[in-house]
Amino acid sequence: MVFKVEIDSFSGYRIYPSKGKLFVRGDSKVFRFAGSKNASLFQQRKNPRKIAWTQVYRRMHKKGITEEVAKKRSRRTVKHQRGIVGADLATIAARRNQTAAVRSQQRLAAISKAKSEKKEKETKKAKPAARTAPSAPKVSKQQKGGKGR
Amino acid sequence: MIGLKSTLNCIDNSGALIVECVNVLKRKVNNGWGTVGDEIVCVVKRARPVSTATQASVTAVKVRRGDVRRAVIVRTRKAVRRPDGRLIRFDDNAAVLLNNKREMLGTRIGGIVSADLRMKGWSKIVSLAPKAI
Repeated sequence: MVFKVEIDSFSGYRIYPSKGKLFVRGDSKVFRFAGSKNASLFQQRKNPRKIAWTQVYRRMHKKGITEEVAKKRSRRTVKHQRGIVGADLATIAARRNQTAAVRSQQRLAAISKAKSEKKEKETKKAKPAARTAPSAPKVSKQQKGGKGR
Repeated sequence: MIGLKSTLNCIDNSGALIVECVNVLKRKVNNGWGTVGDEIVCVVKRARPVSTATQASVTAVKVRRGDVRRAVIVRTRKAVRRPDGRLIRFDDNAAVLLNNKREMLGTRIGGIVSADLRMKGWSKIVSLAPKAI
């Protein structure tokens, strides 16, 4: 069931069904009051802007709004971690947690490996190059690879 | 809460401006006090002046000071409770004049009326009024 909740025209309180008073002024303006306190103060011609507990006053003096703003700001700065295309979260974390010593060790290993491979290649190349190079027809590397794929 | 000697504003175009209640017609439980939708007998205390030019036309003033007429109450200063529990209160007491057949004397209503009238069988008045609250 849907209620129609009205707003008090003095204090800004919500008026639930079966509650409240309606006052229709001579110029046919309608005022709604949540209770006798609001109705009474209205009849005394009090200004809701000068009464501390009304919504108008609270809004005017910015009461109860600062906390919400602060909350919003803190939420925005939250950082999020997740895997991307080639590397999932575990590998990223592993890489991040490496110490400098381990990393340099790996680097040295990689360099030495590459050097040894290069040497091997040159020794291999030296032998067949002397034989095959002049006789073999010139075929580009791309063509060779393209067929097998 | 309209009783003997209460004065009400007349909000139709019958020509009356202020009427004074002299009797509240009995319902089952009104105990002598009239509220919105009740019929009263009233005396016209102040009426719009009758000018000779407008006498023949349609908008002629139909009542004059001292006339005794029936009327129906359409607004009260006393708060009235609605079936949904809320109270409704107006700034003044007001009435609309009737003839002997319980029909409106005027043809127009210039002011808001209480929506309670529809409940009590005065929907003609509600439909003529600019606003019913």
